[in-house]
Amino acid sequence: MSALVFTLKNQPEFTLDVTPLTPENLEGKTLAKIKNLKIIYGNESVKLDTLFTVKGTDSSQIIIEKSTDKLINAGQGMTKGNITINGDVGDFLGQGMKNGTLTVIGNVGLWAGNAMSGGRININGNAGDYVGAGLPGDSFGMSNGLINIKGNAGDRVGDRMRRGIIIIHGKSGNYCGSRIHAGTIIVLDKVGKLPGEGMRRGTIILAKKPTHLSATFKSCGNLKMQFLRLLFTQLANIDGELSIFKKYGPEAHRFSGDLARNGKGELLILQHYK
Amino acid sequence: MKINGVQIDDTFAEAFPMKATRIIITAMTLKWAYRAANAIRGFASSVIACGIEADIERELKPSETPDGRPGISVMIFAMSMKDLEKHVATRVGQSVMTTATTACYSGLDSEQKVSMGKSLRFFGDGFQISKVVNNRRFWRIPVMHGEFIVEETAGVTKAIGGGNFLVLAKTARHGLAACEKAVEEIQKVPGVITAFPGGVVGSGSKVGSKYKFLTASTNEAYCPTLKGQVKSELSDEIGSVLEIVIDGLDEESINKAMRVGIKAACSFGPAKGICRISAGNYGGNLGPHLFHLRKLLK
Repeated sequence: MSALVFTLKNQPEFTLDVTPLTPENLEGKTLAKIKNLKIIYGNESVKLDTLFTVKGTDSSQIIIEKSTDKLINAGQGMTKGNITINGDVGDFLGQGMKNGTLTVIGNVGLWAGNAMSGGRININGNAGDYVGAGLPGDSFGMSNGLINIKGNAGDRVGDRMRRGIIIIHGKSGNYCGSRIHAGTIIVLDKVGKLPGEGMRRGTIILAKKPTHLSATFKSCGNLKMQFLRLLFTQLANIDGELSIFKKYGPEAHRFSGDLARNGKGELLILQHYK
Repeated sequence: MKINGVQIDDTFAEAFPMKATRIIITAMTLKWAYRAANAIRGFASSVIACGIEADIERELKPSETPDGRPGISVMIFAMSMKDLEKHVATRVGQSVMTTATTACYSGLDSEQKVSMGKSLRFFGDGFQISKVVNNRRFWRIPVMHGEFIVEETAGVTKAIGGGNFLVLAKTARHGLAACEKAVEEIQKVPGVITAFPGGVVGSGSKVGSKYKFLTASTNEAYCPTLKGQVKSELSDEIGSVLEIVIDGLDEESINKAMRVGIKAACSFGPAKGICRISAGNYGGNLGPHLFHLRKLLK
């Protein structure tokens, strides 16, 4: 069986809601039925094949070609299978995702992985603000799963996240890990202002010292954190690609905070292996 | 049937169902992992009075452990989930958590689980941190050496306890030499343990006693000093009987362990004082798993 491939015919002028293009939604549907599916384009409901050419049979492997940032809600609520998006994609990538793998070979918009509760999102480019965060009005952000961003991320990464892991290989914007309840965020390049602002619990791991750290974080000194050894070993077990942490030892400067909110969270600044 | 001149009795070992878990103990060095493992397996020779049977299964390379440090795999057997639940948490708390630089993880992936960190986390007095990585929940308990990391639960599986064979020798010295070699070979078999000290039982028991308060008592039929006094199973030349008891995850692994153990003991032969191999057989009253010596040695 070949992967089910959706190729955009033209660059969309308006936002295009691709919510229906998930493995569980397309499972068991014939190609003709898929082509006749209705999707929201701008403020209209249109037939899918007016915008996409469709080929392939395997609904557990979905590929979206020539994607642009006008595509929103990609992989929303997906529970299984794989979706690969070649190109950029817009907001709400993997919103409420429960399982499966979502891969974007490009940049993504705002709110990627918000409220996700499982599965994995790989972003090869940059991500916008509020990665893994909760939507306004939600108590919590992502509650499980893994988001791996090879580029940079915007502001308020993981805002109010409950559980899960976000890895940013590039830079992160301001207020990284703001108000997090738990979970782990790793940033391997520079981080913006006030990381961990308002965090209750959880772990923010930084490879570089932040330039602005809130006064409500207190130093616990340089420590050998056994947890880092466990985390890095387990990440390498998930995916060989995540074995990059081998160059970091278990040594880290630990700050506890945010003391304005109990101070049970931690900010770990990694020490490189010499 | 004879192996290397040693008589193999036409009998069977009788084993019973148990519940088992495997835990992985890691530490800064293998030496300290061993210290914790030895502490956890202390006083865990028999369920009769210890509640559990536990022993070191094998050493683990750093690449085999969850945190990349040297480790030891320990297997713990009990008669019920309730016993296992009680003893795993207690022993990990008192023997592993108290050993410097250690961490403790589940070494079995299964549906049934017993608590480890789930109970021990309270030692953190509110400063404990939960982490879910790779769908496994770990607890980070701040302790004076740094952090004690323990997995929330350990997987439990159905298992078999009480696989055994008896080495009947001229003297205790002869019997012990053969048993030491047998245990050495058994330890190479994955999924089995020999929980008694050194893997050898010096005081094998029978089920029941003349005293109502005792569930097990000395196996007088195999006691050399009672040869003339009771209906003995021992001939004149036998002066000492040692037993090797094997607990394992399944029949296949116990079969294999018994086979390599018996062959190792027999390799000493009558010239080195090994006269017969027999097995603990309680007439089918003890358990449903029967390991026929001659059948498994074929």
